[in-house]
Amino acid sequence: MERVPTNVSDEFYIGWEAKAAPGIGKTVRCAVIAVLALALLVPVVLAVSQRMIGVSVFEWGTQKTFSGVLQTQPYPHLLVPRPGVNEKHTLQSVLFSPAMFSTYHLVAPWKFGLNRAAIAPLDGKSVTLKGTLIYRGSQTMIETKPEWIRPNEKTPNSASLPQSVALGKQTLTGEIVDSKCFLGVMNPGQLTPHRACAIRCISGGVPPVLLVRQKDGPAIYLLLVSADGKAVNKQVLDLVAEPVEITGEVERQGELLILRADPVTYRRVK
Amino acid sequence: MGVNYTSVQWNRQKKLYDAVLVGGVAAYLVAFSVLTKLLFPRVTDEIMLIRAFGTAAFVLLHIILCIGPLCRLNPRFLPLLYNRRHAGVTCFLIGLIHAALVVITYHAGSDTNPILSIFVSSPLNGSISGVPFQPFGFFALLILFLMAATSHDFWLANLSAPVWKSLHMLVYFAYALLVLHVTFGVLQGEGSPVYVGAVGFGLVTVLGLHIVAGFREAKADVSTETMNVLEGKTLTPRAADSPLNDGFVDACAVADIPENRARIVCLSGERVAIFKYEGKISAVSNVCQHQNGPLGEGKIVFGCITCPWHGYQYQPDTGASPPPFVEKVPTFNVRVKNGRVFVHPKPNPAGARAEPAQFEMVGTRSTASQT
Repeated sequence: MERVPTNVSDEFYIGWEAKAAPGIGKTVRCAVIAVLALALLVPVVLAVSQRMIGVSVFEWGTQKTFSGVLQTQPYPHLLVPRPGVNEKHTLQSVLFSPAMFSTYHLVAPWKFGLNRAAIAPLDGKSVTLKGTLIYRGSQTMIETKPEWIRPNEKTPNSASLPQSVALGKQTLTGEIVDSKCFLGVMNPGQLTPHRACAIRCISGGVPPVLLVRQKDGPAIYLLLVSADGKAVNKQVLDLVAEPVEITGEVERQGELLILRADPVTYRRVK
Repeated sequence: MGVNYTSVQWNRQKKLYDAVLVGGVAAYLVAFSVLTKLLFPRVTDEIMLIRAFGTAAFVLLHIILCIGPLCRLNPRFLPLLYNRRHAGVTCFLIGLIHAALVVITYHAGSDTNPILSIFVSSPLNGSISGVPFQPFGFFALLILFLMAATSHDFWLANLSAPVWKSLHMLVYFAYALLVLHVTFGVLQGEGSPVYVGAVGFGLVTVLGLHIVAGFREAKADVSTETMNVLEGKTLTPRAADSPLNDGFVDACAVADIPENRARIVCLSGERVAIFKYEGKISAVSNVCQHQNGPLGEGKIVFGCITCPWHGYQYQPDTGASPPPFVEKVPTFNVRVKNGRVFVHPKPNPAGARAEPAQFEMVGTRSTASQT
C-alpha cells in the first residue's frame, strides 16, 4: 500500500515558525473569516428563531408588602380586596362581574411550595406579608416565607370571601406546568427543556397547574386537585410537561379555577 | 517539542490562534445574548445564558470535528489543527458553564440532590418528549472533561500516544451524546424548523466531511495497490524482491519521491515514511511520537523530518529529535538498486541510526547506484 503525499507543493506549515507560507496564510485567513462570520451569523439565526419566550415577570430583588386574607386551600394563596368593587356576593357577580379580590398564589423560595403546617394558624385571617411578585397574564404569585407573614388586626368579612361555584364536568387538554416557573421565575418555564425543573418544583410543593391554550383567547390556568380537593403534587410528576387530557369537575373560587380529578384518570395525549 | 513541561509553550501562531478563538467565542456569546434580550426582553437571564453557552459549545464542537477531515482533504488547513487542543479545552469550559447554569437553575434548591436530580427528575414515561435528555449532556461533558484534563503533553507522554489517542477519539462518542442531548431536549421544546435544520446541517457536515476524507484516502490506497499489482509488486516481504535475497522489500522508485518529501508505504502492517533529501534515502516510522501525526506527509526542514501537525522534528538517519529534545521514532534499513528503493520491514529500535542509501541525482530525476 503506497500513498503519494497529497501536498507536493513546496509550501509547508510549521506552527513554531513566526509566519506561515503565503499560500497557506491566505487559505487560513479565508477560513478564519468564514469561521468568524459563522460565529456572528449562527447566533443571530438561532436567537431570532426562538419561540418559547412568553410575557412573564419575576421581580427578582424587589420586595413588596401585601395585605389580605390568607387561604391555605386548595393551595396557599392571598386574597387582596379590590377597592371599589361591590362586596355583595351573588352567583351573577361571581360568574360575570370583576372579582372582589385579587388572588395571589403563595410559594416559598427556590423549588418549594409554602409550608402549609407553618401557616395553618393564619388560615382565613387577615395578614400582611412581604415577598417578591411574579406574574403572567391574569395570574399573580408572591414568593414569600412563613416567617414573613404576620397577622394584622383587621377581621375579614367571611361572607364576602369568594365561594366555590361549580362549572360542571369538563374534559380539558393542556400541559401540566409548575405554576411558579411558568408564571415568570423562569422564562421559558415549560415543555421538555424545563421538565426536570418542573418536576422538582411540583415535588417540592409548588401548585401544579393545567395550562390550556385556546386558539382564540388567553390561556386558562386550572389548579389541579384530587377528586376530594387534596393536593396532587406527588401523583402528577410523571405527566409534567406532557400534553395531557383531564376530565374532571371544574369550579371557580374567586379568580381561581380548580380542576378536581383523580390523577390516575389523567391521560397522555400523543 | 518536549524537553520539560510548561503549561503552554507560547509562540506567535498559538497567540494568533487563541486570539481568534476567544474573539470568535466572545462574538458568538455577545451576539446571541444581546439579540435575545432585545427581541425577548422578558427572557430570564439564566435561561438566556444557558442557551448562549450551550449553543456556543455545540457549534464550536462542530468546527473542531471538521478540522481533522479538512486537513486530510487539503493540508493548507493544517494551521487550524496546530492548536486545536486549545479549542477543545475552550469547548469544555463553555460546556461546563452551560452545565453549571443548568444545575443551578433547574436542579438546585429542590428536595433532591442537584446532581442526582439530573438522573431522576425526568423519568422515562414512554413518550419521545419524555426521554431524559440531560444525562446525555452530563456524560458528554464528562468525556470533554477527560479530554481537556489530559490535553497537555505531560499526559500524552505518560499515557503513551496510542492510549492518549484512543481516549481522545471518544470525542465522537461525546458528539453523538450531544446530538441526542439536543434532539431530545431543546428540539422537543423549540418547534422552529430552523433549530431542526441547524442540527441536521451540522450532523451532515461533520459526517459528510469524514466520509469524503475517508473515501478519498481509501481510494488512494486502492489505486496504489492496483498499481503495485500491475507492476508485479507485492506488499509482503519476499526474497525475490531483494537483489541480495536478504528480506528487503521493493518499496517504490526513487523518482517517485519528491525532494525533501516522503512516500508512505505499508510494510508488515506498519506505515513507513521513505524520505529523499540531499541525494540520500532514509526511512522512519510514519508515526510521530508526539500525537501520532503522519511524518510521511511532513518535510525535511533544516535537515530534519518535520511533522506536519505540530512541527516535531527528527533526524532522518537516526529517527531522534535534535538535542536537547528527546523524542525518537524507529528507523528502517534501506538500500537503492536500479532506481528502486528497498526497505527492510523490520524496524530498528527508536533512535537507532540506519545508514542512508545514496543515489546519484541527474536533473530532476535520479538514477540509482548500489550502496
